[in-house]
Amino acid sequence: MSVTLLWWALAALIVVGAVVVIAAREMMRMLLGLGVFLLGLAGLYAWYGFELLAVAELFVYVGGVLVLFLFAITSMGRDSEGRFMERRLDLGALGISAGLGVVLFVALQSALPSTATAIGASVEDTATALLGPLLPYFEVVGIVLLIALAAALAIIGREDGR
Amino acid sequence: MTPLALGCLLISIGLYGLLTRRDIVAVLASIEVMLGGAQLLLATYSAGVTQASAAQGITVIVLATVGAEAAVGLALLVALVRRNRTRTDQIEEVRG
Amino acid sequence: MSLLRDMPTLVVAVPLLIGALLLLGLRFWGRSAPWLALIGPLVAVAVGAASLQGGSSGSVRWLAAGDSALTLGYQVDGLSAIMLLVVGVVAACVIVFSIGYMHGDRGFVRYFAILSLFTAAMSGLVIAADLVGIFIGWELVGACSFLLIGFWYEKPAAAEAARKAFMVTRVGDAAMLVGLAILWRATGTLELSAILGSVGSLAPAVVTTAAICLLFGAVGKSAQFPLHIWLPDAMEGPTPVSALIHAATMVAAGVFLIARTWPLFEASPEARMVALVLGTITALGAATVALPQTDIKKVLAYSTISQLGFMFAALGVGAWPVAIFHLVTHAAFKALLFLTSGSVIHGSGTQDLREMGGLRRTMPLTAVAWIIGGLALAGIPPLAGFFSKDEVVGSVLVAAPWAGVALLVASLLTGAYVARATRLAFFGARRGTHEAHESPWTMTVPLAVLSICALGLGFAGPSIAAVLGAESEPLSLGLAALAVGLASAGALGGWLLAADGGAREGAFRPSVAAVWSTARDGYHFDSLVNAGLVRPVTALSRFTDSVLDRGAIDGIAEGLAKLARAAGGLLTRTMNGDGQNYSALVAAGAIVLLCVTIWLVR
Repeated sequence: MSVTLLWWALAALIVVGAVVVIAAREMMRMLLGLGVFLLGLAGLYAWYGFELLAVAELFVYVGGVLVLFLFAITSMGRDSEGRFMERRLDLGALGISAGLGVVLFVALQSALPSTATAIGASVEDTATALLGPLLPYFEVVGIVLLIALAAALAIIGREDGR
Repeated sequence: MTPLALGCLLISIGLYGLLTRRDIVAVLASIEVMLGGAQLLLATYSAGVTQASAAQGITVIVLATVGAEAAVGLALLVALVRRNRTRTDQIEEVRG
Repeated sequence: MSLLRDMPTLVVAVPLLIGALLLLGLRFWGRSAPWLALIGPLVAVAVGAASLQGGSSGSVRWLAAGDSALTLGYQVDGLSAIMLLVVGVVAACVIVFSIGYMHGDRGFVRYFAILSLFTAAMSGLVIAADLVGIFIGWELVGACSFLLIGFWYEKPAAAEAARKAFMVTRVGDAAMLVGLAILWRATGTLELSAILGSVGSLAPAVVTTAAICLLFGAVGKSAQFPLHIWLPDAMEGPTPVSALIHAATMVAAGVFLIARTWPLFEASPEARMVALVLGTITALGAATVALPQTDIKKVLAYSTISQLGFMFAALGVGAWPVAIFHLVTHAAFKALLFLTSGSVIHGSGTQDLREMGGLRRTMPLTAVAWIIGGLALAGIPPLAGFFSKDEVVGSVLVAAPWAGVALLVASLLTGAYVARATRLAFFGARRGTHEAHESPWTMTVPLAVLSICALGLGFAGPSIAAVLGAESEPLSLGLAALAVGLASAGALGGWLLAADGGAREGAFRPSVAAVWSTARDGYHFDSLVNAGLVRPVTALSRFTDSVLDRGAIDGIAEGLAKLARAAGGLLTRTMNGDGQNYSALVAAGAIVLLCVTIWLVR
């Protein structure tokens, strides 16, 4: 029972964080919300027994992407402090978003097997999988990361704005 | 509720933010939300289809890819900041 | 000899090929064109001569699709052979004549090409064994006539005349097509032998209706009342064309058609009555109109209409071999007269009788030819016209006295207008200013040939009748004397009328002058048709064009285009460069696709 409660707590955390992301008026608050979201997600992965995933999530997202956001924002200079970000209520967007969510739910429900329970997968097994059957994808993603690195550098360009 | 519902909910929330927000950083963050929801769905449901270890492996790979995407996106952000165009309605052309 | 008899399709194939060759090399052929074109008619003469005692028949496959094919049958009997001879001889004379007449004309090669095609079509018409073949030939000669009447197409009057000819004969052709349809419906075939053989088993109403429809086709083609208005206008074409097409051959096709389908008419007294009435009215009416004409060609045109009326009257009383006999002699002397008038026009530079005069002194050969032709036309023995016209009038008088009397009056008038025209053109003082000269040999030799025909053909009467498989009646001397007497009286009257270069005509009493000019205008029939038919139809077509075609249909087409443009404009607004807008559209699309997937999987 408490396991389920934990699940719900984590889920609530995630959702709250997401809502803050889309609704916050200040930059920092949004980033905070994003952080909460990511942490909750990591926790949920752990709940499911995806150890590797949880840790990867923490390292890559919380430690990487979130920090990246912070860096980018602070490098924006004067504008970044206390930015006032607009938010608005757009019924069309609301409709589309809700619609997509619902349709996705309905579509996947009939296509996928029922609720996954706490499964769990050990790190060793995953590592074996990654270097075994999933090796091609593993290598490819390495290349993708390399390209992304190069791309980021190229886009940023030199200091003098070229 | 099921992870399916949670995942779909997150995607909805993220989409709303994507469509609505005026600031690029906010848009990027909303995208992250959406992607998080997608990864959740991937992880939990592929576990029912194939071995759990393979499921996790795949999700990690996807996660890495998304991280790369975020990096590139933020690089773009910095490039835009340089040109002082950080509102979404200011980026109508892809040039420079 | 037997080769020619066994392959009568040569009469179509050869001139057709030559015509095509000439057309393909319009700039190339030059002076050799007429000699090429001459081959076609000569083939026709040869085949005709070879087939006089009985020709061959068969069929030609001309459109094959796998097993089934469209075949056209040909059948050369005595009638076809005679017609081939007529067409061939007259066409040959016309072609030789045209070498001189059309010399220097810009469309020299085109002229001979179309003449060759005409020869092919006319030959095909007369050897066809089914109504389809006849109809094809019928239409093609009409097309060639159109092209030749409007040969000098830059001249608006010529183009008008060509159109008019085509349209008026079209009216007849439409009736003919209805006739064909009726016969098809009734007998299931269009083969002549089958149809004519089964006439006895058809309902009288069917036979009569079909016969009258075919008759109207003939009425159009042979310029009988009420479809006669195109022939005078057709004089806009070159004179040799008038000689060939509008005197000897195409206009004779109507008479030919009725002769060809004779069993139909034999079985339908109503159709014969219609032919008789129309023919008689035409014969007499046209003769009255020919008298006051001032254009030499118009005299001949109305004369042709009148003489064709004689033939129709003969058909109307059942004497079709007599009608064919007159067709043959008429072809000879009318072609002669037309070619002679062409020589006159060429030599004196004018077509107006009032500007001619005394031409016999400067153009003696031409004058002799004209006089021979004129005597033949008037029916003076021993020229050809005497024999054939006598037989016509004789047959009609016996069967329908009222018509016979009318024809006798027409004969009187014939003598009158011939004499008048002769005197105005060839005798008296020279009124024109142009230096008149005799024509070259290429023009006078054909005149000589045709003159010989006009002199001698009269004696060919019994032979012609034999070829046609009919009995020939001996001449009744009393009738002959009466006819000649009337013609001579008429000639005297016409001669006196033409004294002093036609001065008498200017001095008529007002009432007579009024009748005279009304007659010259064809009793205003043309204006009647114009007001009653042409103007309303033109107004209707203008209405259809502006309101229906441009307004409604173009409106719909343009409206659709405008609609598409507006829709495009609307859709363009969605492409505004707004990334979030695009994302929204993508998401919406995704929703739609997922719905479809759900629905499909269910």
